[in-house]
Amino acid sequence: MIRTKNPLLPYFFVAPLVLLLLFVFGYPLVQIFDFSFRRIRGIDGPWVGLENYQLILNQPLFHEAVQHNVQLLIAVPIILILSLIIAVILYDRVPGWRIYRTIVFIPYILAVPIVAVVLKKFFQYDGPFNEALRVVGLDLFALDWMGSPDLALWTVLSVIIWREIVFCIVLMLARLLSLDEEMLEAAQLDGAGWWQRLWFIILPQMAGVIEFYFVVSFITMIAAVFSYIFMIGKGGPGTSTMVLELYIFNFLTRSSLPGVASAVSVMLFLVTTVLILILFWVRRGEREQELA
Amino acid sequence: MNANIRDADYSESDSIPAERRRLTPGMVARQAVLLFGVFLALAPAGYMLLTAFKTKEEYLFDKIGLPDALVLTNFSEALVQNPFLLWMRNSAILAIGAVLLSTVIAALAAFAIARMQFRGRDLLLSISTSLMVIPPVVMIVPLFVLYTRLHLMSTFHGTIIIYAGLITPFSVYLLVSFFRTLPTEILEAALIDGASPLGVLWRVVIPLSGPPLVTLFVVNALYVWNDLLIALIFLQSDDSRTLMAGLSVFQGRYNNQIPLTMAGMVMASLPMLILYILFQRYFIRGLTAGALK
Amino acid sequence: MKHSRRLSRRDFLKTSAALGAGLTLSQSLPALARTRRQDDELVMWWWGEQELPGLQAWVDDTVAAYTGAKVSAMLQNTDVVISQFQTAAAANEAPDVQFLWNGIYHMESVWFGYLAPLNGLVDQAVLDRSGATRLSFYQGDQYRIGWYPLPMIWEYNKDVFDAAGLDADNPPKTWDALLDACDKIKTSGVDPIGGGVQDGFWGEWYLGHALAQSLDSPSEALDLFIGDLDFREPKYHEFWVRLEELKTSGFLNDSMSSLELYPGIDLVVTGQLGMSESIGTRVPADNDTLNGRVGVMTMPVFGTGALAGKPILDSQGLGISSQTEQKEQAAAFLEFMHAPEQLAKFWELTHWMPADSTWDSSVIDAPIVQQLWDGWVTSADSIPYIPNLMPAQFWTDAMFVASQEIIAGTMTGEAAGDLAARVVQEWRDFNPDLVENYQKWADDLR
Repeated sequence: MIRTKNPLLPYFFVAPLVLLLLFVFGYPLVQIFDFSFRRIRGIDGPWVGLENYQLILNQPLFHEAVQHNVQLLIAVPIILILSLIIAVILYDRVPGWRIYRTIVFIPYILAVPIVAVVLKKFFQYDGPFNEALRVVGLDLFALDWMGSPDLALWTVLSVIIWREIVFCIVLMLARLLSLDEEMLEAAQLDGAGWWQRLWFIILPQMAGVIEFYFVVSFITMIAAVFSYIFMIGKGGPGTSTMVLELYIFNFLTRSSLPGVASAVSVMLFLVTTVLILILFWVRRGEREQELA
Repeated sequence: MNANIRDADYSESDSIPAERRRLTPGMVARQAVLLFGVFLALAPAGYMLLTAFKTKEEYLFDKIGLPDALVLTNFSEALVQNPFLLWMRNSAILAIGAVLLSTVIAALAAFAIARMQFRGRDLLLSISTSLMVIPPVVMIVPLFVLYTRLHLMSTFHGTIIIYAGLITPFSVYLLVSFFRTLPTEILEAALIDGASPLGVLWRVVIPLSGPPLVTLFVVNALYVWNDLLIALIFLQSDDSRTLMAGLSVFQGRYNNQIPLTMAGMVMASLPMLILYILFQRYFIRGLTAGALK
Repeated sequence: MKHSRRLSRRDFLKTSAALGAGLTLSQSLPALARTRRQDDELVMWWWGEQELPGLQAWVDDTVAAYTGAKVSAMLQNTDVVISQFQTAAAANEAPDVQFLWNGIYHMESVWFGYLAPLNGLVDQAVLDRSGATRLSFYQGDQYRIGWYPLPMIWEYNKDVFDAAGLDADNPPKTWDALLDACDKIKTSGVDPIGGGVQDGFWGEWYLGHALAQSLDSPSEALDLFIGDLDFREPKYHEFWVRLEELKTSGFLNDSMSSLELYPGIDLVVTGQLGMSESIGTRVPADNDTLNGRVGVMTMPVFGTGALAGKPILDSQGLGISSQTEQKEQAAAFLEFMHAPEQLAKFWELTHWMPADSTWDSSVIDAPIVQQLWDGWVTSADSIPYIPNLMPAQFWTDAMFVASQEIIAGTMTGEAAGDLAARVVQEWRDFNPDLVENYQKWADDLR
């Protein structure tokens, strides 16, 4: 530790950080509560109590948005399982694994709006995907991937998986590469098979990183899919891809009701806060276990 | 944590044990899975690239085949009719500005948090770290109203502050973890030589922090470059539009000209693809840095 | 230690100076910061290049040619045209001249007090000939001057009509004739009718064409929002039932749900589709592509309202902020836009007509464009575009949604009526402060 004669010195060092965080996080997080109780027109408006909350909670569209965000959560276990499989295969250093890793990373290099625009055209009813299906005689599966309200959310989900899986693969692979190889080799010498090594030695050590990914991607699916949704269908067809972020965006820009948008923001904030607290709680539990 | 990352790099040995070279059924299955993965990963990009060279008429009849000839008019038309270079410049200004601002602020704070005693230190770090997971959409409404009042809408400095704020918790988290791993003796030696704490940070700590700083640059710049939500709301004027917001305008304008759209998408992907090819290891390392403890 | 503290403070200053320099630099680089208002400068925020390529060139030309004041013009992003102006106005930072969509899209700003009445500011003769339509008036005052007209039409491919054995110069006028025509076109192997509804706007246009047929006056549409009338009455959702009929008869193109509005209309031009909803600004180019084989029509009639079968005319326009101290200068600039030379330039640069009845229309080079000028733009029969009476929330939550669901086959016309009634109720609940203004506006339009 650096000892300073001036006890205020550390505060000089952290002051810019505190100011920045207060401005970008502190002020808005306080202000959304105030706004959420007002009918804001432009920049101010009268106090209306809980009215905004009541209206939102009674609106079927809000419920649909929440439901869709929850449905997107299905992506999390799918991504995790697929990533683990691919990462473990790569970890086995199959010939060419470095090239595979380089290529597999490419979806992540393409920005979401680019991915969204390309795949939106790709999955059009008369688009290349269906054309390919028809060429090989699978006409039956040439569905209206983007245009059907029953399918659109699942198509969006596939697009999200396609891109977000990359982060998970690379994450799992990096964790694998940092595992203790001697332990694995010892197990191998003891006659443990591939599956046994995976199940009893590798996976238990991955618990921390899996848990981390779970929380991060949980929040992604709840509150960070705007770019996909906005670029692909802006919530449509019908209301089939409406999500909370777009709901907020529409109330802010289309309906010019920042108060209502704030009320949704408050709810979203509270949900993520609860999630973070759970994560901290779980981590502390683990740490105590480790110490015990 | 960073020790792990470095280990990870060292352990990427190229030597493949002989037993893994043999063509066993397991090996064939693994290769098949990987090849299929590669196909899935490349198919959309391939479609984008091939389509960009087709004419509108050609695309009408052939959506999956190779282009007849390498037609470059889509690229020139997209480039002439749309300010791609301006959009890219704007995105670059925001990314670089936000990363610099964030890194300076985070380095100062992380140094104090990692290496000094003061009241509220742990609380500050906990709060800052938790902010990493607050979704940006939550902060937008009040900032939108505030920025209108302060005349900060459609200004780069205003938006840089927002982006810097959003990425700084991660910067602080990463730098604190790294600064804590530095040997105390080096710092103390510098202090005894008469350097000030800021001097130590600038002349001793920062020069040792190459890897985490590169990581921060990659992760944070990628975040700002790729963002759409903040860019749509806070940069509404023509001359301040970013690449991502520009693409949303672009796709609406040419939604009936798919090859032209794809040419635009190819050009928009190029900067990051080039950076990726040049600095691949930093991308992969950077993206996993926050997760491994 | 004293020494080092002084040093550290100097280091601090150096760091912050570098930071500050960086920020100042980014501010002072040309074109980086937002255009700042100068004392005698007029600021105009506009939109339209998105739908009418060439408009930017005309704006640039007009700004350069105008000697009365320095004007700085900024093209707005489609998604924020309204909220950007309203928020700026609330912060007392509104531009002097603002682009305004018709009807409710500027009426809200009128009600909030953000717009100045133009009568008395702009020469009355110019206002009268600018074709701003009835929807630009509130309580006797006019808030919008017309800029360019938007005839809302149906567009069809004459070659497709010929191939199906239809009279290409006499498109169907009644619903039965439409169904008959669709049948024949379908038999000839082409999708009869449709377009693209993926982005929702096709559904908005459809309501504009079809709901109007059941109305006797535009005010009736407002009554649906203030609660005097109800979308659940069969008369007011019949138009969605008719859309359902087109769907279940198999007359709509299969790709309709996954195509956007304009690519959908393109199918008419490529001969893959018989007819679609369209907009006048597209016609000159489409007509050139098809060598004059494009036809325009009003929607065939099923309804019995007084507005059925009438040509629909919308227009884009501009207004003046109530906050600017340069109202006269702004008005003079708007008048300059309607000077004969600028009107002539408008056609030259956009190949579309300006909204001004004194414009020299002899430059029109195609009969079909002449047909639009005579039959829509200057016609005494023209009726307003009904969606412009409806709030944005109703567009995204009802118009877009109902049409997309009906066309995808997941909703009936009747259920669409229920949905619309519910969305109207939600709008009233969210905007109780606006309902009274709607009431007054409805009285104006009666």
